[in-house]
This record gives sequence, C-alpha cells and structure tokens, in this order.
Amino acid sequence: MATKPTVWARLKNQRATWEKIKWTWVPETNREAGDSVVRNFLLHWFPAKVTRQSLSWNYSFWLGTISAVLFLILIVTGIPLMFLYVPSVERAYLSVKDIEFTVSFGWFLRGLHRVSAHLMVAVVFLHLVRVFLAGAYKNGTAAKQNRPLNWIIGITLLLLTLLLSFTGYLLPWDQLAYWAITVGTNIASAAPVVGEQLRFFLLGGSTIDQNTLIRFYVLHCFFLPLGVLLLFSYHMWRVRKDGGLACVDQLSLEQKKENAQPIKSKTYSLLGIASGRTVHVETSIVDEDKHTVASSPNLTRRLLLVSLGTLAVSVVLTVLFRAPLEAAANPTVTPNPAKAPWYFLWLQELVTLTTFTIGGITINGALIGGIFVPGILVVAAIVWPYLDKSPVSTVGVWMARARRRQNIVFLIIVAAILVLTIVGTYLRGPYWDFYWPWQSWPTMPRKF
Amino acid sequence: MRKKKSGPEEITASYPSPESPDESVKTGGVNLSRRKLISRVGLGATLLAIGGQAYAFVRSLVPNVLYEDPKRFKVGTLDQFSEGAKFIEDKRVFIFREKNTLHCVSATCTHLGCTVKMQRLNQPKRVNAGGREFDEQVEFACPCHGSKYYGDGTNYSGPAPRPLDHFKLEVAPEDGQLVVDTSEIVRQDFRLTV
Repeated sequence: MATKPTVWARLKNQRATWEKIKWTWVPETNREAGDSVVRNFLLHWFPAKVTRQSLSWNYSFWLGTISAVLFLILIVTGIPLMFLYVPSVERAYLSVKDIEFTVSFGWFLRGLHRVSAHLMVAVVFLHLVRVFLAGAYKNGTAAKQNRPLNWIIGITLLLLTLLLSFTGYLLPWDQLAYWAITVGTNIASAAPVVGEQLRFFLLGGSTIDQNTLIRFYVLHCFFLPLGVLLLFSYHMWRVRKDGGLACVDQLSLEQKKENAQPIKSKTYSLLGIASGRTVHVETSIVDEDKHTVASSPNLTRRLLLVSLGTLAVSVVLTVLFRAPLEAAANPTVTPNPAKAPWYFLWLQELVTLTTFTIGGITINGALIGGIFVPGILVVAAIVWPYLDKSPVSTVGVWMARARRRQNIVFLIIVAAILVLTIVGTYLRGPYWDFYWPWQSWPTMPRKF
Repeated sequence: MRKKKSGPEEITASYPSPESPDESVKTGGVNLSRRKLISRVGLGATLLAIGGQAYAFVRSLVPNVLYEDPKRFKVGTLDQFSEGAKFIEDKRVFIFREKNTLHCVSATCTHLGCTVKMQRLNQPKRVNAGGREFDEQVEFACPCHGSKYYGDGTNYSGPAPRPLDHFKLEVAPEDGQLVVDTSEIVRQDFRLTV
C-alpha cells in the first residue's frame, strides 16, 4: 500500500514530462503561443513570432519546406530499404527484385523513395529559381546578414541532391545503373590532370565492379545524407540569423520611411556577450502588432499542411507510377538508346553536342559539356550575389524592375536546360538520333 | 563565442600582458610569447594528427591489389575466325579476319565508354577515312550519344573525339590461340599475318 502513491506520483511526473514535449495547436493566449515555441525543443528553431508576409503561399511557394519534407520521407523510406538491399554485385539486382515483388509493401517503399527523390531534385531546383527571381540571396538592411553565404550553401545542397540521386539510381545494378556509372565516371576522367586518378578512385579500380558498388552505396547512405543534414541545419540557422525570409526586409524598409523610431541598441544577447546588435533586435523594429502573428499555431499549422500535402502527392504518384527496373547489369550490351534519368538528360545532350575540333585538336564533349559548362554554371551562381549591384529595394521582391535584365538572363539559362532536357527525354531514339514524337523508332537488333 | 574574430588572442589580452619583453623567448629571430608558442605547437600537432588520420582514411580506399580480368587474354584458335568481323562479347573487342591477316578493334566508344554496336552493311561501301580509301563491310555506332565509326574504327559523326582503339594481336606459341593485349594500343594499319 505504501508504494501506491509513489507510483502515482511518478506517473504524474511522467505526465509533466509529456506536457513539456507536446505543444498546443490552439493556443488561447499570447503566453501560451510563445511558450509552445520557446519551451519546446522541436519548435525551438522557429522564431516566436513570424511576419504574415513570410507565411504567404505565393511568395516562397514553401519550396524549401517541401524539399525538407521530401528529404525526411527519403530518410524514413530509406531505412527499411537499407535492411532489405544487399550491396553486392551478385545480389544487388536480385535483392531489389525481391523488394519489388516479394517483400510486403516493398514496392511501395521503393516507389515512394524513388518518387520523393525525383520530386526533391525538381523542388530544390525550383527553390533556387524562386530565390533568384525574388532577389532573396541579397542582404537587406539588418545587421550581420549574410544571405549570399546561404545562397552558396543552397547551391551545395542542390549539388548534393543531384549526387544523391545519381548514387541512388546506381544501386539496383541494372542496365541503367551500369551504363550511368560508365558514362558518369568517364566524364570524371575527362577532368584535366587528375581525371584518370579520379576515375580510379571513384571506381575503386579500373573497371566497374564490387568496389564501385560499395563506394556508391556508402556515399548514398552515409556521407551524402550526412552532408545534406549538416548543411540543411546551417541553412535554416542562417535564415534565422539573416532575419527571416528576404521579403521581411521590405517591411522594415517601408516602416523606416513612415516612422523613424530610434533603433534599440541592446549589446547583449540571450546566450552571452556578443558585439553589436543582434539581428533579433534589429528586426524587432518591424511593428510587431501590425505585421506579425504567433508562430504557433500560424507557422506550425501551415507546416503541417505542407507536410501532409507533400506526403499525399508523393504517395499518389507512387501508387500511380510503379518504379521501373531494367534488365540486370550487362557489361557487354549497352541499351539502345541508353538514357540517363530526366534531370541529367540536359547533360547527356551537352556532352553529345560539344565535341569540337579546333586546329586539328579534338576536344572531347565530356570535357566541355560534362565539366566546363556545368562548372561555369556553378561558379557563376556562386559569385552572382557579389556581382549583383541592384538596390536594396529589390530584396525579396519577385521580378523587381531593377533586376529585370539579370532575371531574363537567368531565365534563358533555365529555359535552355529545360529545352535540352525535353529534347533528351522525348526526341532521342536509337543511337541518340533525333526523332519527332510522331516518328516511330526503327526496330534494332537486340545485341549488335 | 559568437564572433570568430574575438578569439582566444583577444581574451588573453585581459590577463597580465604576455607581450612584456622579459617573458618572451627568442626563437630564430622571431619574438614569440611562451603562451603563443605553446598554443601554436598545440594547434600544429592537432592539425598534423588530423591530417595523418585523413591521409590514412583516403589512402585505404585506393586499392593496392586489383582482382580484375587480365588485360591480355586468349579468344580462341584461328579456325574459329572466319572471313569478316566477330564480336567477342565479354571482352568488348571485335576481331577482323581478311584472308590470312587479323586485327582487333576495341568496342569501347572513345567518347564516354559505352559499347558500340556493329552494323553489318548489305553491300560493301567505299569510304574515305582520313585519305585512305577502302571497302567496308561493317560500321559501328554508339547507343549512348550517337557517335559513328567506319569499319576501320575511324570516327566520322557524333561526339567521339578519336577513332576506336586497335589492340595488339599475337598467336600463343603453346596452343596456337589468338591472344589480344588490350594494354598495348597499336596503329590502325596493324595486321597479324598468319
């Protein structure tokens, strides 16, 4: 009898712990709304209050959030797949076949993983397009902003996403996988000076074999996701330190015009002594009552909606389109035509179109289309924020007049990539010859 | 420590000055305070240790032994090769026989390494490849990016930057089998006469 109250007390204590973990979706007071963010680990990376503008559906289209949700789906579906997949050249293809045809819901896990991967490539790219067109990589007026750095982290995340996709579709060890590694690593070997060594290191030898598969497996399941997680965390942290989404800077610009209140000059922050004013203090010049709402539930609710929507779309696509699996890898027969996944077809077009002969010297398209052109695009994207001298009034403004010319140049590049992708996807047939969609492909002997 | 610039050095400045001349030691004409010297040695040792581990990590992934197929291999006795071209599938080479001469053309596209496909022509075609005229029975085409080659391996269309490799052929003295040596690339006009 004596132990009874203790157990009860312990249970009550457990309840209190639970209260600390959960939060309310319907706060009744400002205090409750603030507490659910500040006192909660899961929500602590949000500000307690958030501007209405940054919650808007059609400023950001929530593309970053969607990317993050897709990445979460990829982690969750990837874990059971890691238990089921065997990274050996003898068994990889058969284990994927098992996942597809004998494991309960295996087809669904693999399908969802594949669909979210495709969507993630698309959405991360659209996120980049959005940030560029809205001038959101530019610093506004608040102190210590470094949005150009966050733009560079974003580009790195896009490249990591592409590498994750590349290493991912190699794992089934089917024909697509084998010939994609062949072409991919030969592009690497076209790199000046270190090319051959790079190919040898990537393959773990001079031919595509077990060493290659296990390398891409470890990259796909450990190093690349780890890189995405770390950079994603930094990406989010920087968004906070840069004073939120770029459109918020417009608010403080407008507000400064209407009333020039003295800026608070607090020189300490929550975590200790730091020099200068913190961004948090700086952004608080935005009239809170007029422009902001509590993050809980306004931000958390939309976040839940976006997550649900993303999951729903991915699941529907998974059920509608079953993931394909080509014939088992066969080093002796290249499929005809051998096509990369859609997001690499613009590169496949480029390496096809860019072999040039100048004065008797022939330069392989692998070097120009496979290394120089993508390299120049990445470098240009990285330095762009430092070259963009448009006024601060364009920060976070879609298609701002003062940035019209650079937006047009950017859109032309995006359009060129899309056109090449479409040509590669729909207009290329056997031997990479050009066919209109209404032209039928000639029948080809299977082997030679 | 929010700010990187105000690192340890600035904080140590509030301690009794380490820069006073009697506390400094002279090392090779450079004035270093003892504290600075020790901190640099410590930092250097740490970096060296991490660098060493990193080297070991990366070096272990460069294989010392390759369990790969040999680059020199037998493809069969001479009577197995009749007039014309034959594809040795698992070795990715074509063996050509013209009466009593043989030569070997690689099936690996010189653009990005896919296996080219041999297309047999219905009737011999007269072509001019780099000044040399000859009749060809077959041509090669690559399914990945559409490179095209004449029967002698000379590229004439698509992104391939150079002709298909030709490999050295020998006859093994012990059993009379044809031997291909893919580690030795020979001129296009190389012929093994038997």
